[in-house]
Amino acid sequence: MKGCEDYGANIQLYLDKELTGQDLEEFHAHLEECPACRNQLEEEEELSDLLHRSRPLYSAPDALRKRVMRAAELFPSTTTHAPLGLRRRIAKILARPLQSARRPSWPALVTAILLVTVGLLVVPGVLRQSRANSYIETAIAAHRSFLNGSLPLEIQSESPSVVTAWFTGKVPFNFRLPSSAEESGHEQVYRLTGGRLVNYKGGYAALIAYQTQQQKISLLVSSSRSAVAAGGEEVPSGGIVFHYSKQAGFNVITWSTHGLTYALVSSLPGSGRQSCMVCHQNMTNSGHFNAHR
Amino acid sequence: MSWNHNGMDQANATGIEYIDGLYSYALVLTRNHAEAEDLVQETYVRALQAMGRLRAGSNMKGWLFTILRNIWFNQLRKRRNGPQMIEIEAEDGIFNSIVEPSKNSHDLYVSKMETEQVQAAIQELPLQFREIILLREYEELSYQEIAGILDCPVGTVMSRLGRARGKLRVLLSATLKGSNSSSVRGSQ
Repeated sequence: MKGCEDYGANIQLYLDKELTGQDLEEFHAHLEECPACRNQLEEEEELSDLLHRSRPLYSAPDALRKRVMRAAELFPSTTTHAPLGLRRRIAKILARPLQSARRPSWPALVTAILLVTVGLLVVPGVLRQSRANSYIETAIAAHRSFLNGSLPLEIQSESPSVVTAWFTGKVPFNFRLPSSAEESGHEQVYRLTGGRLVNYKGGYAALIAYQTQQQKISLLVSSSRSAVAAGGEEVPSGGIVFHYSKQAGFNVITWSTHGLTYALVSSLPGSGRQSCMVCHQNMTNSGHFNAHR
Repeated sequence: MSWNHNGMDQANATGIEYIDGLYSYALVLTRNHAEAEDLVQETYVRALQAMGRLRAGSNMKGWLFTILRNIWFNQLRKRRNGPQMIEIEAEDGIFNSIVEPSKNSHDLYVSKMETEQVQAAIQELPLQFREIILLREYEELSYQEIAGILDCPVGTVMSRLGRARGKLRVLLSATLKGSNSSSVRGSQ
């Protein structure tokens, strides 16, 4: 008769359906009379159940899925006999420029050159403004959804360090919310309430939520690689150019610094710059915007 | 032989059904969203080119995972032999597919939190443990298939898997306790 120590490895094999025949029967019999092994098996199963509930671990982005499916559809069904050259050609056509590629792909390069040329010669500033508008639209839509409750916060905390930690690894850029109270040096009119992820250009931007006594304010943060600040009333302050505008009934302020682009959306009273005064009373102090860096 | 043997339809014949698994494996290996996408795409491109060499009855799933792993390790080797680059993993976050939460859906919220905890715990593991957990728990590959992909003996698969689970259990102890006290989602 075998003891529990002989069945230790069998618990894992049983869990992984690797136990068969006589070994399986013996193990079943042992389980029936051994509460210790049953407990151990249950513990193993709990971990497996937890992992299985999170299947798939990650979902492939839609854009990637579509590219692969398009490749599959275009690939001839008689692939067995398709010449190697044809197969290579199709695969080459369908391969997108790799995001982390060290070499440029010619179609992408030509497109980029054309876009830059058009942008420089025909419509200077149009593309930049279009990207800026797209970012503002996203910020306003996110703010509106946040206000009506359809975009609930995924992390709720008044602690900048907790909110910063939550975003770490979830957004494709690094940022840190400083302790506003320490840096502003005066009584805070607003407080941090939390944040969540927002889809932007196939990736994620960070939505940071603040609350004043009367209303909610949202701050959208994204990498300057995908979002730009442009247009509106431009006010340089503390080495940063702030862009003020009023859109869709909201006051919007955008700016870029340290590789990140910000869009602050609120219904604070007053036009653009005046709305900043609500939270940052000393506009002449170049350090007053530290809270947003 | 081509991928559409054995009565498989065209969609199955391309291996597209494995894309989530391949993407997960790529993210587990690279811990980088952009690199993972590149890796999956490169895997399918290579597979398309090599499909004629896949024999009838071959295990396409294992084959695709092997291709992906080989590409990744070849890239690593080239990087090591080439100019050294500073890797800043934190610059590229690990994305998961965020399902827009439905209103007042507590279950969905709990489920999402749990998934994020699992993802974070797995990504904390050493590379060898991350990939073996992915291949067994998520892809349900047999020890033999895993041994084929990792190019190691079955015994190594078994022992490594045991150690990986032990470490993961420690990392997920709080989540396991939580799921015991309130079974919100139920087993699937």
